Amino acid sequence: MIRGLPVNRILNKLKSSLSFNTIGSTVFLLLIFGAVISAVSLINFTNVYKEAYAVSSFHMADTATTLVNGDHIDEYLAGGEVDEYQLSQRRLDLYCEKICVSLLYVIKVDRSDYGSFVSVFNSVNNTVDSTSYTRWELGFERSTTNEEYAQKYEALYNRESQYETIYRKKVSSGVHPHITIMVPVKNSDGDVVAILCMQRPMSEINAARKNYLASIIVFVVLVAVLTSVSSFFYMRSRFLKPIRKVSSEATRFARENTKGKNLGKISRFKELSDLADSIDTMETDMVNYMENLTAVTAEKQRINTELSLANRIQAAMMPHVFPPFPDRAEFEIYASMDPAKEVGGDFYDFFLIDDDHLGMVIADVSGKGVPAALFMMASKIILQSCAMLGGSPAEILTKTNEAICSNNQEEMFVTVWLGILEISTGKLTAANAGHEYPVVRKAGGCFELFKDRHGFVIGGMPGSKYREYEIQMEPGAKLFLYTDGVPEATDADKHLFGTERMIDALNEDPEAEPEQVLRNVRKAVDSFVKDAEQFDDLTMLCLEYKGK
Amino acid sequence: MLNIVRKMEGDKAGFALEGRLDSVTSPELEAELRASLDGVRDLTLDCEKLEYISSAGLRVLLSAQKVMNVQGKMTVRHVSQAIMEIFEVTGFSNILTIE
Repeated sequence: MIRGLPVNRILNKLKSSLSFNTIGSTVFLLLIFGAVISAVSLINFTNVYKEAYAVSSFHMADTATTLVNGDHIDEYLAGGEVDEYQLSQRRLDLYCEKICVSLLYVIKVDRSDYGSFVSVFNSVNNTVDSTSYTRWELGFERSTTNEEYAQKYEALYNRESQYETIYRKKVSSGVHPHITIMVPVKNSDGDVVAILCMQRPMSEINAARKNYLASIIVFVVLVAVLTSVSSFFYMRSRFLKPIRKVSSEATRFARENTKGKNLGKISRFKELSDLADSIDTMETDMVNYMENLTAVTAEKQRINTELSLANRIQAAMMPHVFPPFPDRAEFEIYASMDPAKEVGGDFYDFFLIDDDHLGMVIADVSGKGVPAALFMMASKIILQSCAMLGGSPAEILTKTNEAICSNNQEEMFVTVWLGILEISTGKLTAANAGHEYPVVRKAGGCFELFKDRHGFVIGGMPGSKYREYEIQMEPGAKLFLYTDGVPEATDADKHLFGTERMIDALNEDPEAEPEQVLRNVRKAVDSFVKDAEQFDDLTMLCLEYKGK
Repeated sequence: MLNIVRKMEGDKAGFALEGRLDSVTSPELEAELRASLDGVRDLTLDCEKLEYISSAGLRVLLSAQKVMNVQGKMTVRHVSQAIMEIFEVTGFSNILTIE
């Protein structure tokens, strides 16, 4: 495994740390919040401060008008009242210096279009804000700076307002950031005769704003740091510790699979204590479940062992060594049984009743599994016992039926085909108790379904009667017996294999030995059924009569 | 797999079977029959939509037939050719009343 650089590892760890993420997002939100608050309050602060600044400036300017005699403005301009003019100019200079404003001047505006004015008084104080203004002499004519000034002059002359204000925030060549306050100068009749303008530096406002902003930023950062530190400790004690407890317990449980100490109440928060409760409950349940599972598995294993033993017993009960009669050259017989479950309800059987008579049985018990197997064992034993006592197939079936019906409360039944071959002559006598039709192949011919007469199933009704029939077997003739598992083998689409396919499979090679015949059928069934689960027991028997 | 429609009318009972009556589904029919055959004198099994019957299914029919032999009568109706073949092979056609 390639490991990253230590810094990357630490970064990755931080990225996945709950506390780091929580604190990070808290600080981030606080900073955004702080920035918004700062901006809004700074705007408000500036507005309020500007208004207060303007009002105080107005009072200062208004006071200055008392230093000017409004009745003599025109005389001053005409060159008269020199002493009075000079006194006023000196007073204004002094005032300008005392109140720390950069300009203080009185102008008479041309009222025809307010587009120009003449200077009356003019005081300059360049020390206040390092400016470089020069004094306008009495009678100095100048056009109005711009339309804004003209409108304000007009408003004041027409007494529409007490004072007017103009802000110059941007520093352009030779102009410093300032506020200009304009107030009317009136004569003794109360008419507006001139305008007094006062230019006050804005540096005071800007300094106040800077101070205010700095204190807000310091405050926000301080709050953010304090909040993150305290939330870190809060998170650690209230969330991380409980979560770590839960997580280490879960890890321990996953490793050891044993019930640990109850986590109990690990937090006063419901979600976390619920989580701890769930872990506790889960551990208990899991441990119980595992114990249960172990018990069930053991039980299942025991049953499986028993079933496989039962399977072996069942298989051993049927003739299973081939060839079964190695010293008998007159016939060849082969049979097989594949139960769908561990044990099945099908069975085949063959036995020599005496030197000249071979009994053959194929049978199918209703249902499957253990019940069918139990019933099959009983049926097989009773059937063979009855057969060994002698008698014709019909008699044997009748006796067997009576024996089984007498103790059959579960109404199980078994279909049986029973035949007895007279080995010396090839005469086959058979009776059918509800079993599938046998398949017969005459010497040199094809396999064909032999539609024999059917009696009722064994165990179904007491007193059932069975009829027997004879088939003459010539040397080379074959008999194929099967249970319904063959024609009813089902593919994934629920299609049945059917007797026709079975006959076709048999006729693929009619000359084959009995063992090969069974293999042919089995192969055809398997390729038809494909992956579908074997649904029913599959049992087959094939006899070839060879004669003497 | 097996759909059973039951219709009770006085002492008459009718069961319509649809699907497959095999070792998986026949316990359903057995339980249905056991629960409803009390006092029934005329039992009808409609096999029109029955696709398949296995030996386990035959066993249930046999049980029902035995009960109805005592209580009244049982009729099996609308038997398809495939199922009729099974009835014939197993000899059930001899003990059932098939219409």
